[in-house]
Amino acid sequence: MEKYLLFGLFLFLACLCVHPTQATQFSDSCTYKIQGSIVDAKTKQPIPFAAVMIKNKQQGVVADKHGKFLLDKLCGREHTLVCSSVGYKPATHHHDAHHKEPVIYMAPSASELKSVVVEGEAIVGDMQSIALDKIDGAELATKATRSLASAIGDIQGITFISTGSNVQLPVIHGLYGNRILIINNGVKHGFQNWGSDHAPEIDITSADNISVLKGAAGVRYGPEALGGAVVVEGHPLNLSEKLHGNIASGYQTNGKGYHTNAHLGAGYEKFSYHLGGNYLRMGDRHAPDYSLTNTGMAERSANAGFRYHLPQWDFKVYYSYVDQDLGLLRSSVAESGNLFARSLTADEPLIIRDFSYDINEPRQNTTHHLANLAIDWHSDLGKLALLLSRQINQRQEYDVRRNADLPIIDLDLRTTDTRLEWSHPSFGGLEGTLGLQYFSQNNDNNPGTGTTPFIPNYNTSRFSVFVIESIQKGSNLFELGLRLDHEYNSVRGRETSQAIFRNDYSFTNVTASLGFVRDLSAHWQLRTNLGSAWRTPNMAELYSFGQHGFKTQFGLWRYYTNENGELRTDRVLTEEDDAAEPERGYKWINELTHQKDDHTFTLTAYAHLIDNYIFDRPVAVIGTIRGPMPVFIIDQADALFAGADLTYSRTFTKNLKGTLGASYLWSQNIRKNETLINQPPVNINTELSWKTPSFLGLDASKLTLQTSYSFRQFQAPRTVTPGELISGAVEITPDAEIFDFKDAPEGYFLGHFRWEWGLGSLGGQVEIRNILNTPYRDYLNQMRYFADEPGRNFLFTINYKF
Amino acid sequence: MTINLLKNVKKYGMYALLLGGVLLASCSDDDEAPEPENEVEVFTDVTLIFTNTADASDVVKARAKDPDGEGVQELQILDDITLSAGTTYTLHYEILNALDADDPEDIGAEIKAEDDEHQFFFSFSNNAFTDPEGDGNIDGNTTGAEAINYIDTDDNGDPVGLFTSWTTSSSPLTDGSFRVRLQHQPNVKTSSSGVNDGDTDFDLTFDLDIE
Repeated sequence: MEKYLLFGLFLFLACLCVHPTQATQFSDSCTYKIQGSIVDAKTKQPIPFAAVMIKNKQQGVVADKHGKFLLDKLCGREHTLVCSSVGYKPATHHHDAHHKEPVIYMAPSASELKSVVVEGEAIVGDMQSIALDKIDGAELATKATRSLASAIGDIQGITFISTGSNVQLPVIHGLYGNRILIINNGVKHGFQNWGSDHAPEIDITSADNISVLKGAAGVRYGPEALGGAVVVEGHPLNLSEKLHGNIASGYQTNGKGYHTNAHLGAGYEKFSYHLGGNYLRMGDRHAPDYSLTNTGMAERSANAGFRYHLPQWDFKVYYSYVDQDLGLLRSSVAESGNLFARSLTADEPLIIRDFSYDINEPRQNTTHHLANLAIDWHSDLGKLALLLSRQINQRQEYDVRRNADLPIIDLDLRTTDTRLEWSHPSFGGLEGTLGLQYFSQNNDNNPGTGTTPFIPNYNTSRFSVFVIESIQKGSNLFELGLRLDHEYNSVRGRETSQAIFRNDYSFTNVTASLGFVRDLSAHWQLRTNLGSAWRTPNMAELYSFGQHGFKTQFGLWRYYTNENGELRTDRVLTEEDDAAEPERGYKWINELTHQKDDHTFTLTAYAHLIDNYIFDRPVAVIGTIRGPMPVFIIDQADALFAGADLTYSRTFTKNLKGTLGASYLWSQNIRKNETLINQPPVNINTELSWKTPSFLGLDASKLTLQTSYSFRQFQAPRTVTPGELISGAVEITPDAEIFDFKDAPEGYFLGHFRWEWGLGSLGGQVEIRNILNTPYRDYLNQMRYFADEPGRNFLFTINYKF
Repeated sequence: MTINLLKNVKKYGMYALLLGGVLLASCSDDDEAPEPENEVEVFTDVTLIFTNTADASDVVKARAKDPDGEGVQELQILDDITLSAGTTYTLHYEILNALDADDPEDIGAEIKAEDDEHQFFFSFSNNAFTDPEGDGNIDGNTTGAEAINYIDTDDNGDPVGLFTSWTTSSSPLTDGSFRVRLQHQPNVKTSSSGVNDGDTDFDLTFDLDIE
């Protein structure tokens, strides 16, 4: 890795050396201009005739009647603007030459809003042709007790796959796990990302906003962004912002959960800082008819950011810590086929105890540290950004077993990510970014589990180069992205006899993305993106061996078929056996947007082909000392996904707004011409929100009613019960048609209600989730085999901002 | 301005490199395999040992073996149980993890240490025995003369079954069956808990002959 690192640093230095000759262009002559606009933060209407002053100077201007202003004949290229208007909170903004026109959103004096400034900076995705959805901080604050996946699950086409209420992973257009990259503060979140029972350790209250990229975003972010990316951004660390912060606390009835979080930050002329922390505790959740025993959780998190700014330079340091203790439904554990068979047919979970905050086995305990340093350098040569990051992820899982006090999985994962990016200046209209990335992971098993490691020790190193370019021609924007990755893996594991196996292997791949954005008219816009992406099989997909939860599972390199057509697991395979290929995906995604007067309409349609799609499937029932056990293997096939998301919003009056959404996905294993398993069902949802007239002296009050109907998954595989397999009533061969153990759950209707209010610096909300207390099971929750989803839940939150 | 800038570049560039070095230096490649683990959950060999209470040298053994533990190879029932008619036997077990054939581990001792979390259950050809009568307690019917003769109890006075007593019928039996199931019942075992409580540690069915 040293040589890669040196190469990166050399390049960095080389770029630094180029700069002095160019710096002469930064003349001190007073010709610099700043133009921008001023709007009301609440109504988004322009504010006419507001005053814009340069701080500590006798220079200023009054905006025109459309809220536009122009400050010219400025000396120097960095200025602090102070914007004021009668009836509004003043706004201060530090502006430099490297950002586009600022839009100053001024908050009315008598509102809980804060005045903010938005600059036209490139969005995180870089590929502007990829459909993107964003959740802002205000919306996140209403979801403080929810997981990352659940919080973004309200976006059309996004849902989440879960193992109970505490472990949830985002699903974008049917893909999840290793196919969705999670970017936390600029770096890939390094965690045990395998199976559907390991969720990212990210506290959403630490996020300023979350963006979801629905296309193959692998060019910018690397392999594994096959299905898309979730980008979590921390506090923006604005300069020239007076001391601000908030304290929020809440309680929810289902699980008797409570949380408190606090944030504090300030920005000065040259530096800014931010501190935040969160504590969340929940007990056993409750389904409408019974307690979901052992579904409590605890989460502690803290984060801190510091920014130091010099002319042309920007330094940012960020650190975050998350500690989670997550309970899993007690009744989900079945060590034998017999118990699993009984769990599936029981009306209620087999183990129900009284409510408790206790978190017993099965449970997961993880801590995650993230530290990064970002250095940006702006010049007429463009922007050069260096990002260095390091993450430590420690995970212990405890299972119900004879030695329950020992973790059954005990892993330390260390991740480093180094990226150097150069965003070059416009070159004849061509804009773009060139990047180099070095990524490494080191996974180690800690001894003392009393079981052969399910995942081996490994080191992964990846060196990548990428380029993204775009050019605007009239109302058309063309984009091209290319990336080259070389990945090297070194693996050391144990067989159950405790004999050591080793393997070293590498993959090289090219990823490409082509995009086109066109403004069809003033009201219509079309985006289209054709992207490829790849992903190497992860360690669990290659090397898993034996029992994990109720499954006995074998990875691609742990089983083979012998000359008699029998399945055998007595040998560890290598790349020479040709038993595993990287996944290669090709996604074509189109988004049509129409916006006119009171109507907004978005249609996203996509087709996604994945060669060597990796999935696990039941293959046999074998006799064991414990009795008959269902056996799963990791397999590969070619899969095709096609679907559409639709959103239609209408503003009926100034205060009344309605949204209708629908998501549809069709998927098929085209190699065997059969269905896939665990794909999101069709969903239709509505939202109606009404800003009520002022009452009780409140400044703001908004009522929101949400409804959704999820259909039964009509594309689910056939059902073969464990009982039928154990009794031999149904014979399964390695080539048999795919099946599931239980029918897909019936469709269900849910209603949610929310009231948000504001009074000066105070704000809050009252929310009722699942108003009708509907008992239902979610097809994408593994716990659907065993128990219903949680029932009605009242949530109360109060928030003080200053 | 230019000179200042150059100074800044030198100064902060160095800081950047230093910080970068610190962040990355701690990342080093290693080549260690995981430490060997002592498998505590896997059974590969279970032997039923019937000892004639009247003649300690009359021992009948029946073996079951899962050669690759968690691997896909089928369980092998290596022996039939062949008992003498009208004879009383004590049944106990040898339970091993022999994944490492040179160093097999005795799981039986561990079950004995946690006997308040374990119970054995049985089912067999109807009236193969005169004591107990009937067909065993796996079907949940354990009253009166059909009750299994547990010899050992745990600290709570509940039956365990590492040792049980069996008196065969006086009439011969061919192609009968004898099934034994060990349930692991942490925090579940009570005087009334049954075969469907907890989870199965082993569940084996042998052919039974009485001659």
